[in-house]
Order: sequence, then C-alpha cells, then structure tokens
Amino acid sequence: MGEFQVHRVRFFAYMPAGIRCLAHSPRSARLALARTDGALEVYNFAANYFQEKGIPGHETRTTEALCWATGDRLFGAGLGGDVSEYDLEKLRVKYSLDGFGGPIWSMAADPSGTQLAVGCEDGSVKLFQVLPDKIQFERSLDRQKGRIMSLSWHPSGTRIAVGSIDLLRVFDVKSGHAIQRILVDRHPQGLYRRECVVWSVAFLSDGTIVSSDSVGKVQFWDSEKGTLLETHPVSSSAVLCLAVSEEEDSIVVGTSEGAVYQFQLLPVKWGSAESKWVRTKPFQHHTHDVRAVAHSATALISGGLDAQLVIRPLMERVHGKGYDAVLRKFTFPHRRLVSCAKKARLLLFQFPQHLELWRLGATDSAGKDGDILPVSRAPEHLLQLKSKGPEHICCSCISLCGSWIAYATTSRLHLHRVHLENGSVRVKRVSKVPKLLCSAHQLLCSADSTSLFVASDQGAVHVLKLLEPGRCGHLQTLRPNSGSAQAVYLLTASVDGDWLAAASGDWEINVYSLRHFKPHCTVPVYNCAVTALAIHPVTNNLVIAHSDQQVFEFSITDREYTTWSRKVQQHGLHKGWLERDTPITHITFNPKQPAHILLHDTYMFCILDKSLPLPDDATQLMNQTTLKQLSEKARRGCAHAFKICKKYQPLLFVDLLEEGSLVVVERPLMDIKTQLPPPVQQKKFGT
Amino acid sequence: MAMTRGRLAMLAKEAAALEPPMAMAAAAEDEEEDEVPEEVTFERARAAAETERRQAGETARRDRELLKEKRRRREELFKEQKKRKLLPENVLKELTSRPRINNNNLSATTKQGKNRKKNEVRNRRRNNKGKKRVVRLKGRYMAVRLKDQDLTSQHQKVAKDFIQSHLYGPGTNRTTANQFFSFANKKSPVKKAAVQFVNKSWGKEKKQKAKHFKKYWMSKKKKKSPL
Repeated sequence: MGEFQVHRVRFFAYMPAGIRCLAHSPRSARLALARTDGALEVYNFAANYFQEKGIPGHETRTTEALCWATGDRLFGAGLGGDVSEYDLEKLRVKYSLDGFGGPIWSMAADPSGTQLAVGCEDGSVKLFQVLPDKIQFERSLDRQKGRIMSLSWHPSGTRIAVGSIDLLRVFDVKSGHAIQRILVDRHPQGLYRRECVVWSVAFLSDGTIVSSDSVGKVQFWDSEKGTLLETHPVSSSAVLCLAVSEEEDSIVVGTSEGAVYQFQLLPVKWGSAESKWVRTKPFQHHTHDVRAVAHSATALISGGLDAQLVIRPLMERVHGKGYDAVLRKFTFPHRRLVSCAKKARLLLFQFPQHLELWRLGATDSAGKDGDILPVSRAPEHLLQLKSKGPEHICCSCISLCGSWIAYATTSRLHLHRVHLENGSVRVKRVSKVPKLLCSAHQLLCSADSTSLFVASDQGAVHVLKLLEPGRCGHLQTLRPNSGSAQAVYLLTASVDGDWLAAASGDWEINVYSLRHFKPHCTVPVYNCAVTALAIHPVTNNLVIAHSDQQVFEFSITDREYTTWSRKVQQHGLHKGWLERDTPITHITFNPKQPAHILLHDTYMFCILDKSLPLPDDATQLMNQTTLKQLSEKARRGCAHAFKICKKYQPLLFVDLLEEGSLVVVERPLMDIKTQLPPPVQQKKFGT
Repeated sequence: MAMTRGRLAMLAKEAAALEPPMAMAAAAEDEEEDEVPEEVTFERARAAAETERRQAGETARRDRELLKEKRRRREELFKEQKKRKLLPENVLKELTSRPRINNNNLSATTKQGKNRKKNEVRNRRRNNKGKKRVVRLKGRYMAVRLKDQDLTSQHQKVAKDFIQSHLYGPGTNRTTANQFFSFANKKSPVKKAAVQFVNKSWGKEKKQKAKHFKKYWMSKKKKKSPL
C-alpha cells in the first residue's frame, strides 16, 4: 500500500445540525431535508441517495415544514412566519411571503399541487394559491383557538384535518368552516398533567384520521362521526411525527425515544376482507428524538435531532439484492468542509458561522509501520474568522501556500490575505472584492495562488485575479456552450494552471482552457451525479467519481476516456466496491507515484494503483491485512489495484501534504452524540 | 413616620420599665390585701394623655427637622462632588465661549440611514467648510423599524419556548448524555472509559460548600493549636 506518516486530526469540532423536517417527492425521487439551523438539503434517490443540493442555513430562519408542489417546486415555512419557495437551480430562497398569522407550524400541498395550506400560531389555516412563478394568498379558513401544530389534506382535496392542542378539527375547504371537533385524551396520570399536543396528523382516503400526540399514542379516528376507532400506545414519551405510504397500507411513526415504528394494514384473518392496523416493526436507529419521518415506496426514512438521516428499506417491497436493499445512514454532508494548504501545512475548517485555521503538529522521531509517534509540536489553532451577519457560510477555501482564505455566504464573497511570519498571524480583509451578481457555490484557489475560481449560477465560473499585497480583480467569466441552468458545485484546476473542470447540477462536466479562457470540451454525460473531480498533476487526466461508485479517467488533451478507464469499464468494478454506501468526496494524487489515485469516502480511504491488475468478484477486495502476512513474492502475485484502509473512521477529509505525509480528518460519532441535547431516559432491564 | 413610631414604642417601654418597681413596692407593702385596681381620677388621666400626645408631636417634629437637615447636608455634598468632577473653570469657560457644532442635525442624519448618505456627506462638507472639524460617521448600517422586528422575534421566541418546554421541560424524563450512553458500557463484557469525562461545572454548589468548610475547619484548627 505504501507507507505514510499520517496526521490523525481529531480537532475539527464539527457539529451537524439536527434534522427538523423531511419531504419526499415520489415523482422526482428526491428527498428534501431541513435542519434545525435552517439549512436545506436535497437527496436524489435515483443517484444512490447522493446529497445533490444544499442551501446554507440562516440565523433567523427556522424551517418547520417542507412540501413539494406540482412535482418539483419546493416550499418551506417556519417560525419566522414566512412561506418561502426555494430555488433549486440557484440554490437560494427564491422569495418569501409573510403569512400574517404568526409562526407557521405546518404546511401541506393539496393532492393536485395547486394550493398550499398553512397552519399558523394564531389558530388560522391559510390557503395559498400556487401560481407558475409565485404563490398568492387565497383565503383563510375559520380561525379557531389554539395553534395549528399539524395538518393534512384529504386525498380528494375537499377537507383538511388539523391537529391542535388537545383536539383535532376537520375543516371543509369549500365553506371554510370546521365541521368536526374531536377531543384527544390528556395524560391520564402523573405529576405533570399537561396539555396534549397533536404533533402530527394524516387524513386517509377512507375518511380515517391518524393522529400522533405528545402522550405517546397513535390513534385512528372516524372523521364523519368523530369517534375513536383504534388506539395504539406506542411510547411513554411523545410520538413526534407520522407519514403514510402512497398506497395507504403502511404508516411510519417516530418517537421522542429515537424509535421508529411501522404500522401496517393487515387482514384480521387469512383471506378475510376485514383489515386492521397493526404495529409491526420497531427500529431503533436513532439515539435522540426523531422529529421527521417520510415513507417512500420501498423504504422508511427517518431524521432525528442526532443529525442522522436513516433510510431503512422494507424488504418485502424491495426486489432483488441491489443498492436499495441496504440500510443507509447519513450523518455528514457529501460536501467538502475542510481545505488544506499543502505547502504551508495548514487546515481550514468550515463551520456554519465561522472558519478555523489550524497548523498541523509535527514530530521529530521516526518509527516503523503501525507506530504512534510522539508529537513534538502540538497542532496550533492560529485563527478564527467569524462571518458577520445571519447568513451561514456555504463554501470556503485556502490557497496551497496558505496566504489567501476565501469564503462565501449566499449573498457575499469574502477574501482575506493571511500573513504568517514566524509564529504570528496577521489577517487583512481584501476590501474591494468585485461584486458578483450571483452567489458562489464553490471556491478554489489555483495551485500558484494567483487566481481564485468562483463557481456560480447557470454553469458559470468566475475567475478572480489575486494580486499582492492583498488586492483582487475580476479577470474572466467562463460559461459553458450548452447554456446550463444549474449551478456549478464542483471545481478542480490542474497544477500547471492550464485547465479547469467544473461540474454543474445537471451532472455536466465542462473543461475550460485557462490559457485562452474558453471552453475546451465537455465530458460525455453519465447518468449519475458527480461526487468528486480532480486533475492529475503529471498527465493532466481528469479523474471523476460518480455517486454509483464508478470511477472514470478522462484525458483532457485527447478529449476521450483513457485506455485505463476503458479497461475498468470492460472489466467492471468489484462488487464490494460498488456496494459501498457513501460517495467518494475527495480525490487527490501522489506526485511521486503518478500511477496512484487517492480517494476517500466516509468509511474508507483507498489508493487506486493503475499499474496493478483489477480485482474480480472472486478475490477479496479489502486484502491489506492478508497481504501483510504473506511473503514478498506471494504478495506481488495477490496484490490488486484497490488498496483500502479502514483504520480511520468516519473520515471527513484526506489529503497528501507536499512532503509526503498524509492528513486524515476524523470526527468520531460519539463526540457528536455527547454534545447533543439530552436524550429521553430509557429503562433497560438489569441496569 | 416609622422612626417616630419606634420612638413612641420605646417611650412606652421605658414607662413600663419604670412602673414595675413601684408596683412591686406597693405589692410588698400590702401583701395580704387583694390587688385592687388603682383608682385614677378622670382629670389625671386626661392630663397624662395630653402630655403624652404633646410629647409625641414634639418628637415627630424634631425628627422631621433632623431629616431635613440631613437631606440638606447631603445635597451640599453632591454639589461639591459634582464641582470636583467638572473640569476647571477656565477650561469650562473656554468651551462654552466656542460656537457649537449642530449636534441635532448630525444625530438626525445617523438615524435616517444609508439612503441618506449623500445628505450626510453634504452636511459633513458644510461642517468642513465652516470649521476644520471632521466628524466620523459610520456608514455601514441598515435602517429597520424596531417595532416590527420585536413582534416577529417575540412570536418566534414564544413558539420556540413552547417546543422547548414540550420536548425538554418537566415531565419529559430526560437524562444526560453520559448516563444514557453508559448503559451499554454497564452490560458489555469489555468495560470502557466513561463517555464523557467529569465536567468541571458539575456539583458546583457542593464544591463551594466543601471549600468553605475546609476554610472554616482550618481556621478552627489554627485557633486551637496555639492554646
């Protein structure tokens, strides 16, 4: 595998924000997810659950409800009292409209997708009309007392069921009157006899209302008569969320204890027509409150305050053993949060509201493989850059020499010149950054630190010139020939400064010539999302990793896939490689070994050796430990191209420094879990 | 008033203290006789009551005067202090003799915000022309109506408090992360370190108490040892 001195970095105190709401769109096979800090993410299920899009958070925005309308338009509403539409091409909030009803707790689109119902703090349900390029207030249903915590449309679109405090109501949409009022039981005993919050409701097509409340019950009601049909005590703490499958034969609920339960509509006896809701499967994947669930056609999706997104496939609905048949857990974003100044041995960490600059530690001693070397100089926290304003940082980068730091929020680009002189750090903000009309989605410094590439809307990349001492100017804007509407989210530049490759949201990769500032070629579009890009420093080949775990090598000068890449495609990748569950997020190279490609995802780090034969399915993929026990000669016979190391987990970043040592940034899950809000106590037998 | 009442009470007490010896003597003189209530003529009682009232009025007046005196003295002290704080008189005179900068005008412009920047500049220029006085003004701000902001943020805060109380309030049965994650450790055959090491903020009160007790104990020991 080759030996490296490894800097095992664990001082990146990254805390992912908890998941507040989920919205699944079966039509586009996408999942929208809102976090407690106001950030929004979109996962594409067709592209192996890749986090396709991300909109950074905002201090004052707290999203409480998300919904898709008319296919692929995404709306959000929150405690700020605004209903907003997200622009998924430009990755920002398109517009927001005040609901004038105080904080908004719930929102749902009607089955045809032409109306939005919004439940407000003041007890009113407001209807908004969805127009082609905006939404418009239509009318308000009769205002009742108590905040509207949840609402659900009847599939016919004529009624709305509303969950409030201590009661449920049914509204007739046409007349706007409440036609049914159902009281929900409070907690029967206990010291804290308090109101019962109906956290979630669902209206089924046969007129049944399903409610989940803070008492811990899932209840089924008849909406016509207002009577209780069934009660299922699920938990001793609150049941916070509920989702129904499209066929209405399965319900998923999430509780405060972190458990997720499935309810199924099953016949009472074999072959009988009468059927009943039965609690079938419990899952305990979360440690903290599950605040959002969704039900896709083949899986239960749950998101908790422990920042985990869990996709649990339902085995009876999954056909065959494919990618869909495996449990997926996502904690970390599929984006780069760390950047490394290879020459200056600095690391830049991106947090929602600030950046941290660290100098790596060093050691004097040397050892053999597997030794832990004593640190002679401890890692040093050099700088903390706080961003002003309520917007969160969406991307950041540091130049290879460590003298420039750039970061961007949705509305502004910030550039800083850093002077590092024997221990002291001086930072100067570059005052006149050219005003770009659109926001930056990814930043990259060129290898010689003379230019900054800013990925922007509509497939454009702006090139800014970095001038000493601490000035910058706009040089060029590169635009693709195809006129893509999507924003660029990945950038890479060649070391010699000739080429720049940019991947946009429609998975198109454009290669630009930086000598002439014009498009050079496009890589043939592959039908899966691009997760990482890099240009080889010696051969100028573009290496591309896709979310279905395919790896391609594209020769920029010849404008075609290389022979090695063709060979890989003919041979096929190893089964074990294709079944990995997180995408490759970063690719780097070893200049001393031109045949090596270094790749990593969250759970492994791999050196892809192009000079060695590819493994077939019969051989073991992770063979490093067995190779170690073999003799030198036998080792050569067994070695294959994929050299995988799983020692460092979960990985956020891997890079190779200039002098040949490896930097590995880990974030242990337990460190995150201990800093989360307190979990619900659970009695365990025998403790 | 409170003071006067206090004084009255004291006087009454004194009277009570004076009386008993006499009464005692009387009791000693005629021990055999039953205690007959002392006969007091109407005139005497009236005279006693009158004198008492007079005395009370006098003390009240005296108190009031004392208070006045005190207040006056304090006021004088304040005046003196103020004088001490102020700059020397000649400097003050010089300052007041100089023409004033139009303070009102400046504050108004700052309030009006960014869109009035031009106006501001003009003002500044005018000032510059008049006297060589440069007034620095902050330019980077946004004007918002505080009233609206307050209302939405207040609503938002109420809503957040509601969630907080329902998820983490009393009766929700929450534990600490340490306790929660140590369950697995308890039953597992391989014992590991605690999830979270001791936090310094824990048991603050007890630690404080222990510290105080230690101090107290040491001082006690010190007192004892020389003896």
